[in-house]
Amino acid sequence: MSAVDLAITDDQEMLRAATAGFVQSACPLTRIRELGETGADVGADYVRSGAELGWFAMLVPEEQGGGSVSGHGVLDAVILAEERGRLLQPGAFVATNVVADALARLVAGPEQEEALTSIVAGAARVAWVLADRAGDWGAPGVRAVGKGDQVVLDGTSTLVQDADVADWLLVTANGEGITQVLVRADAPGVTVTPKTGLDITRRFADVTFDGVTVPGSGVVGGIGEGGDDVERQFDVAAVLTVAESVGAMDAIFTDTVEYAKVRTAFGRPIGSFQAVKHLLADTALVLEQSKAIATAAARALQEGRDDAGEVASMAKAFVGEGGIELAQNCWQAFGGIAYTWEHDLHLYLRRLTADAALYGEPAWHRERICRIHGL
Amino acid sequence: MISVEEFREQARAWLADNMEPRVDTGLRIRGAGHKTVESITESRVLQRRLFDGGFAGITWPTEYGGQALTGAHQQAFEVEAARYAMPDFGVAGGTTFGVCGPVMLAHASPEFLARHIPRILAGDELWCQFFSEPGAGSDLAGVTTRAVRDGDRWVINGAKIWSSGAYYSDYGMCLARTDWDVPKHRGLTWFAVPTDAPGVTVRPIREINGDIEFCEEFFDDVLLDDGERIGEVNQGWSIAQAMLVYERGASNEHRPVPPGPGALASDFVELARAQGRERDPVVRQLIARAHTDDYVMVQLQARVMQHLRLGTGHGAGTASFAKLGTGTTLARRARIGMEIGRGPALVWDPADDEGRRTALNYLNGRVMAIAGGTNEVQRNGIGERVLGLPREPSFDTDRPFNEVLGNAANWTGKP
Repeated sequence: MSAVDLAITDDQEMLRAATAGFVQSACPLTRIRELGETGADVGADYVRSGAELGWFAMLVPEEQGGGSVSGHGVLDAVILAEERGRLLQPGAFVATNVVADALARLVAGPEQEEALTSIVAGAARVAWVLADRAGDWGAPGVRAVGKGDQVVLDGTSTLVQDADVADWLLVTANGEGITQVLVRADAPGVTVTPKTGLDITRRFADVTFDGVTVPGSGVVGGIGEGGDDVERQFDVAAVLTVAESVGAMDAIFTDTVEYAKVRTAFGRPIGSFQAVKHLLADTALVLEQSKAIATAAARALQEGRDDAGEVASMAKAFVGEGGIELAQNCWQAFGGIAYTWEHDLHLYLRRLTADAALYGEPAWHRERICRIHGL
Repeated sequence: MISVEEFREQARAWLADNMEPRVDTGLRIRGAGHKTVESITESRVLQRRLFDGGFAGITWPTEYGGQALTGAHQQAFEVEAARYAMPDFGVAGGTTFGVCGPVMLAHASPEFLARHIPRILAGDELWCQFFSEPGAGSDLAGVTTRAVRDGDRWVINGAKIWSSGAYYSDYGMCLARTDWDVPKHRGLTWFAVPTDAPGVTVRPIREINGDIEFCEEFFDDVLLDDGERIGEVNQGWSIAQAMLVYERGASNEHRPVPPGPGALASDFVELARAQGRERDPVVRQLIARAHTDDYVMVQLQARVMQHLRLGTGHGAGTASFAKLGTGTTLARRARIGMEIGRGPALVWDPADDEGRRTALNYLNGRVMAIAGGTNEVQRNGIGERVLGLPREPSFDTDRPFNEVLGNAANWTGKP
């Protein structure tokens, strides 16, 4: 049963179960650790299998090669995200869905159509290039200068997930308004520099553009007119990231409660002591609140409501902080054992901490809420 | 049964003919305006009018003056009535119609109900709660108000506290101890105590917000007929547990959820603008945080309601999420208010009614963290009923209550 949305349909339950089964067999936590320790990519086969389970199809209309299960693509994608988050799955699921959604709405020309088709099928991989060198999501690190109907890109962006194995890059660039372009990752002038980092369940890179020339056919949306599109992309990224986070939170919290029932000290289970009980109760509240706001954000986006952006930012801000608090509390409840590499707690801590920062940290999203209200 | 739509139309017509339009006056915050006995008397008149018109006790049984309709009918009526001046009994309205009434209907004898329910519906009986005592709040089963049987009467001695609206209520629903030789929760019985009975002293208590709303009561050899007992002797605890759930609002099925977050924490935006600080990044963060917390609270309530409707939760334990959420969020919000507010929140013109809003909310800030089950009690409920964590050893559930009182006073840390 989904933890996030209490009322999923039978079809959605089948969708959920299929992905849950797949991630458990294809990429359990032991494999997550291996990949994390070597820095290796999960591989194209995994991505293709995910595509077959509908991972990148939910936000794309059927006539463009996509298709949801329930008719509510956002809600379906959220169910998938939750199962992926539960087992800390690698791969740019969120960014791929953001790009697929954007391309489906803005697609222009055969090259973009073909890119969309292969992305949805998992045959081509894509990364979203947005944050600047300092990891500021509101200030694109890349500048776009128009030259005739071509666009020239210069600058550096960081926190680009799986950029080194991407076939395509959706670049959100600055330059008299926002311009977005779809460019081949191996285009001349593009340099991808993989980084190591706190979140070993995922792989990030810096991407530098040095005079990269993009033909008109690569522009997504209008030149200088990408502002509204990027707002939508943030909403999608926030809703899906929050869903992944809640899946992870639910998983590690369940383990922690179980531990508190079996671990004994001073003659009884540690969960019988009020200090531990109350710590876990407060944490359970954070989790329940997170599920509530995550569901609200998913539904607002699904229904295309005017406040969808605001609720997405509320969810991102709340769950960002809540995820970190939950991971820290679970750590405290486990005690010393959770300070070991061998224990799974740190994997969840790393993941939830990174989730809070990706696509806008809590403070950034709170500021966005004020802006939305015209304050 | 009449359809909801037809009932709505009838209500709309009747209200237009019989009730006055509502006039909003002043801040609607705890402590902002004292409920006078005069205003209560006016509301009793309005309640009588509702009763005579056939719109009182919409979901209550017809044999006692109700309409025996559904929650949907009730909600339809409330929507139509929203623009009219309706009876406002303050907190005692909630205790009468939302807590005591439902509990009575479930557990009192038909004779008792025939005596009391029609009078409640007609506005002649308002009921407050005689639950907490100076010596027993969170530990409600530990009450020491004593009820001793004397033939077909009972003699009540003891004290109660935190009884909201007792100074204008007609009855208090009173939990008393009827057996001291059994474990605490096995010796409790409920009684209907008239607030004007000989031996009853009601004394209002002034709150930190300056207002007088709740009261303490003293019972000196108060005599009650056995017919005024509610439920069986010594069976009061199971009724108490059901009542606590009513109090927690878990039975309130039809509170509409606002579709969206609405305006940005308007009280805080006003405070910021009053100081020219609406561009201050620190202030903006606080405003957005409070606004987000407000909406999370709303969505959590909706989720808890959904759990209860679908049966996917853990009953009263799940309801504790909503209470703990409110109890933590509102305290935090009140502090944010003072932080944003600075000068304008600390001092204001004596004639400025709005000016005291932030300070009043601050003084009321911990009410939901304590009243109706403290945050700590909710945490126990979540920990044990929802998470299934084992209980701690207890030193009072298996012993005669007489022994427990002595042990507590001489606590050495050993069982």
